[in-house]
Amino acid sequence: MSDVTDETLTYSLPVDSRKVRLKWLMTALVAVGAVYVLSDAMSNYWLRTFISAAALAIGSLSVSVLFAQLGMVSLAQFALLGVGGWFALRVSHGLGVPFELAILAGGVAAAAFGLVVGLPALRMRGLYLAIITLMMAGAIQVLISAFGFPDGGAGILGKSTGARVMMARPFLAQTDEAYFRYVAVVLVLCYGLVLLHVRGRPGRAWAMIRRSEVCALAGGVHIVAYKVWAFALAGFLAGVAGGLLAGGVGQLDGSAFPASQSIMLFALTIVGGAYSWMGPLIAGLMLRAFPALLNDFHVDGNIATIVFGAGLLHALMTAPKGIAGQLQDAAKALRAKFPGKPGAAR
Amino acid sequence: MIEIEDLTVMFGGVRGLNALTATLPEPVTGLVGPNGAGKTTLINVLSGFVRPTIGTVKIDGENLGGIALHKRAAFGIRRTFQNEQVVENLTAGGNVTAVLDNVPTDRRPRRDLIEAALGFVGMIPKLHVMGADLNAYERRLVEIARATVGRPRLVMMDEPGAGLSQDESEHLRSVIKGIHGYCGAQVLLVDHDVDLISATCVATLVLDFGSRIAYGPTTAVLADPRVRAAYLGVAEESA
Repeated sequence: MSDVTDETLTYSLPVDSRKVRLKWLMTALVAVGAVYVLSDAMSNYWLRTFISAAALAIGSLSVSVLFAQLGMVSLAQFALLGVGGWFALRVSHGLGVPFELAILAGGVAAAAFGLVVGLPALRMRGLYLAIITLMMAGAIQVLISAFGFPDGGAGILGKSTGARVMMARPFLAQTDEAYFRYVAVVLVLCYGLVLLHVRGRPGRAWAMIRRSEVCALAGGVHIVAYKVWAFALAGFLAGVAGGLLAGGVGQLDGSAFPASQSIMLFALTIVGGAYSWMGPLIAGLMLRAFPALLNDFHVDGNIATIVFGAGLLHALMTAPKGIAGQLQDAAKALRAKFPGKPGAAR
Repeated sequence: MIEIEDLTVMFGGVRGLNALTATLPEPVTGLVGPNGAGKTTLINVLSGFVRPTIGTVKIDGENLGGIALHKRAAFGIRRTFQNEQVVENLTAGGNVTAVLDNVPTDRRPRRDLIEAALGFVGMIPKLHVMGADLNAYERRLVEIARATVGRPRLVMMDEPGAGLSQDESEHLRSVIKGIHGYCGAQVLLVDHDVDLISATCVATLVLDFGSRIAYGPTTAVLADPRVRAAYLGVAEESA
């Protein structure tokens, strides 16, 4: 190390950036094709299942932002989906605004709630933070089950006494097929929003905080501001997810957002793999598509919970990076076994 | 220039620092003393992690008491840690960028500043290597690069020399000696390695039980019988 010569000063990217870009472009094209073909080929049952799964993938993304970036456990994110759904429904019914605005309103409202949920995080971490956020999820559950979701009625709560009115879907996506594609686009936008954060200044500050608070302080990171920001972003994502769920079904059920679901969302994000972009997608599929698949086979969907428990044990004991990490390891092993062309196996 | 006046830090009933007064004007100052002497406490006071019970510290004439914790890096107070604190999920360049985000850039392109800081410690070849893949010595160098980017005034190093090979140790010495010339910052170096201290530090401050027992040119201070007594535990000959 002591003699730095001119040769060591030249450096190159470890991976060819053009190849990487091409790989991502191919992945994106395949994904777009899959979404397009799938939405045409699927039955209504599966379409609705996948709409929910995509929305919940956004919810799981919100958990993974907090967990993977900052190492913080929030067990209130599913409750925040409910908050986002409530405000999206209320704004949509009350003001008759376009769907996009209703979703945004849901996101912003949940971000504000997320901020409140995150306040204890300024002083606590680990188990204590988990417990406090779980209690907040419980409080939100009580509010939601007491007041229910707006369904076209008058007044602040917007409860109708007669027929329940469905939430207006986006102008571009009235049918289930189109709405599925719409949700897929929003999912991609949410990933983009998170990527923008992670690659940028907030992501670096979060990484410093996750390393240790003294490290962040010594580097001049405003810990409070960046933690609050992360909780607001996570709340926003959860709120958007809740709005999308509301748009998918047309209304929301007051009993569908118990605190236990928040634990489930967190657990499955770990099982899916919080550190990888694939993790939230896998978590979304496990939350909705897996039980639906069991139902399709005429097996009780509740068995899924048992499977999830086993999956969580497995993830905690042997696969800290979740299913996504295992898939990536498997892909790496395959590539090493079958090197297609020289240099492909790294 | 660091001016420490009547600095006292109490941890419950224990005095971490006891009415310490010192003026440290040299570009590289050593800070030595036996375990528990208050070296790390002094560094923590300067970083702002520990609040002094009594007393003030001024850097370049500015009282540190008025500078918020998260603004000290931007003010120019930087440090490396006894247990390295390199962020493992950022690259070496990302680690430097994470600090550069919060400190003045003097309107120079960020890329230039990052490459200059890593170049200074000889880590340009590792610019894109993740923190997790760096070895112990490389991590230490990344910490120094983080501490020297963006107009620092004071760089404090807590035992940077621990566990290094001969080659690494020599490189580290040249890096430490070069910090003042490279970015104009004053260096405060805590280490038990007397060779490292005498090779790099112009002056040395010796602490014991939170108080100053000697300050002056390094060779003179290290030869001082009271310092040798505090370090080696030799009883002073009583008359």
